[in-house]
Amino acid sequence: MAQSEPARRRPLEGVRVIDLTKIVAGPNATRMLATMGAEVIRVEWHDDRALDLLRGVRPLAPGGEPDSVNRSGLFNNINAGKYGITLNMNLPQGRDLFKRLVAQASVLCENYSPRQMERWELGYEVLSKINPGLIYMQITGMGKSGTYNSYVSVGPTAQALSGLTHMSGFPEPMQPAGWGYSYLDHSTGYYGAILVLAALLRRRRTGRGCYIDLSQTEAGIMVSGTATLEAQLTGKPTDRHGNRMQAAAWAPHGAYPCRGVDEWIAIAIQDDDQWSSLVTELGAPDWARDTRFSKSDGRKANEDELDRLVAEATKSVERYDLMRRLQQRGVPAAAVQKADDRCERDEQLKARGYFVPLPHSEIGTWAIEGFPAKFDKLSADVGGLPHRGAPVMGEDNDRIYRDLLGLTAEEITALREDWII
Amino acid sequence: MNTEAVLSSALAGTVILECGDERGEFAGVLLAALGAEVIKLEGRTGSASRRLGPFTTPERGPEHSLCFSRYNLGKKSVSLEIDHPAARDALTSLAARADVIIDSGEAAAIDRRLSIYQEIQKANPRLIVCTITPFGLDGPYRDLKMTNLTQLALGGVMAVCGYDPRADGIYDTPPIAPEMWQALHIAGEYAVISITAGLNFREVTGEGDFIDLSIHEAVSTCTEVAMPTYIYNGAVVQRQTGRHAAEGRTRPWLRRTKDGRYVKAFLFWGGRDVRVIGEMLNEAGIEHDLESDAYRELRKTSPSEAQAHFSDLIDKLAASMTAEELFHRAQAKGLLWASVRYPEENIDDPHFQARGTFQPIHHPELGRDLNYPVSVATDGKDRATAFTRGAPHLGEHNREVLSWAGLTENQITDLVQRDVL
Repeated sequence: MAQSEPARRRPLEGVRVIDLTKIVAGPNATRMLATMGAEVIRVEWHDDRALDLLRGVRPLAPGGEPDSVNRSGLFNNINAGKYGITLNMNLPQGRDLFKRLVAQASVLCENYSPRQMERWELGYEVLSKINPGLIYMQITGMGKSGTYNSYVSVGPTAQALSGLTHMSGFPEPMQPAGWGYSYLDHSTGYYGAILVLAALLRRRRTGRGCYIDLSQTEAGIMVSGTATLEAQLTGKPTDRHGNRMQAAAWAPHGAYPCRGVDEWIAIAIQDDDQWSSLVTELGAPDWARDTRFSKSDGRKANEDELDRLVAEATKSVERYDLMRRLQQRGVPAAAVQKADDRCERDEQLKARGYFVPLPHSEIGTWAIEGFPAKFDKLSADVGGLPHRGAPVMGEDNDRIYRDLLGLTAEEITALREDWII
Repeated sequence: MNTEAVLSSALAGTVILECGDERGEFAGVLLAALGAEVIKLEGRTGSASRRLGPFTTPERGPEHSLCFSRYNLGKKSVSLEIDHPAARDALTSLAARADVIIDSGEAAAIDRRLSIYQEIQKANPRLIVCTITPFGLDGPYRDLKMTNLTQLALGGVMAVCGYDPRADGIYDTPPIAPEMWQALHIAGEYAVISITAGLNFREVTGEGDFIDLSIHEAVSTCTEVAMPTYIYNGAVVQRQTGRHAAEGRTRPWLRRTKDGRYVKAFLFWGGRDVRVIGEMLNEAGIEHDLESDAYRELRKTSPSEAQAHFSDLIDKLAASMTAEELFHRAQAKGLLWASVRYPEENIDDPHFQARGTFQPIHHPELGRDLNYPVSVATDGKDRATAFTRGAPHLGEHNREVLSWAGLTENQITDLVQRDVL
């Protein structure tokens, strides 16, 4: 069914994105746009305000110069498929060049601190006069408008405020477990991509650009599920429930220890037939004949004891073996996989070509995490237009300033010497 | 059609048929928020999510599920049994007028309909079909039975969320799946990226596409530093209470406040943090030595000891005021801190009220409105997306939609008499 690669066309061909984003949330949004074939140009500079912190974040590719800003594996994963230029926006000449870039762009994405672009006199009011069709997406922690418009945030901040941290883990007196990473950096990136893709469709129809003030905390509120609704209904504060299912009488429903060090299996029993299958695969222990456990309501009502007994029964079993046996009986069960499991043992990810090897100009070829859908026709390539990993700092200066802005080699050299690019 | 917010009309005129189970519902609701006409084909007994809690009334009827209403805002409902042979003509008529079909569930269930979709695409080559399945439509795990919990396990999210190990390094608590259908949220967001990319592709080429989205791959992309840490350094990050999983142990972020709540006190542990916390301790009247030569010396000679002492002082600071007081005071100092809120506490927050994050939706069975999260962004003034109606009753739009698709009254009556509608 699939067409050969050369015949594929890109959904965002002809779309140019100026990317002033940093860390993960903004770059994740522009990563999606690059995957869909937009020409994404990262604009970076060397000072603390402009340099992407992620360029120095571990893990680093082994070897090389220790102070290189081009060796972060996380940066490479999040910024694959983009072009990279340097530009000193602190200088008026730099800001002039920036305006010339924006004049030729479809989209500007940025996630500087909330007022920085206005300080540079590069807010939407100014830039939309230069380019009326511009889609300008600003990503901030809480939103550019509202009473918290000067508040600052990273993923963990937004997760706390939105309620997501509270809704993860065991109930009091246990602390919230929260999220072990910046989930909202990912989610905000997804929403950023969605809003830009929708705005591009709107622009194709109306010819109009727009300003998008995307809030990371609101992305968290959007994925808070039914919690806010239930609290309005009951008047009771939202609680935590560990790994248990609240929306239905599914039990047992949790992660249970297996043989080995910190190895676990997740099991979700949805009905009595699945329960019977689980009992069989656990060796039909005597306790499982307790009539309290024979029906789902009884299992749910006695979940503390049930969890303890199931955990006792699974702890000597190899997790993938139990997963395989339960799955053969139609029971939802899955090993709790760490990154090494997903890289080395996950046959599905391998078979679907999840890891995409992409070259990088300083650290060589590394596996990049792919896009999670296959398309019959359109090209979705995490390597983007350059078909490579992340750009090294300023890697595409010559090409972009020459081809896009029409500068001569002498002019580019002068800009470099004047510390403007 | 939804209200006229800047992006609520981005997909105006786009008709989406949503089939399958709950795995596709979040994609559908996000597309409805962008102005698409989403028609849910849910069969005569209704979507499985109508039977998931919480419920608005003790009857727990199909019209009273908050799970259903949350994930089906703004859609229309047609109770067509799409797998019944007698429904084939109706489905074909609907699809001939549709721009997108979303089908979700287990791959084997979707297999039955794939040939129909291929036929429909021949007649309507502009049609985009997007399947959302646990593993995609191929690969060795294709037919494993999965739930939200097991997807978060196998996809790597659970392994990085949870609690610190004991002092001896042994984990005595399980990995945690953060609550509220997060695997389906991630998959839904990727589905909307894919579909809006497909719509852009159609604008460029005039062609539709077939999209095969894997929930497992979607979840796998969403673990931030975990994968690069293994790929680049061969190391596996370890989960920690309320903060990022890391290769080594880090200091706590969650601090208990005077009112028994928590603040997430995210720090870079640099000199600025020490100065600012010192100021806050002074303002709170708490004695400290952070400005002393002795402490400065300790930072140089024993950074770990200095951090431990600093951490103790942060605990004292947190214990001296409520979570909300500390949140606002810390933000006034530029710290990336937030109170760990219950999600519903944001409904009455003037910041989110000003931004229109929540929208009241009327519930006739309750005789009142409930506030739903509807928007993650503004256009600079108003919320970017919104709804004009709540979730549909089962089959509420049968005649309206089928008449629009060209079926006569007699044909519709025939479907009812054959128990297909």
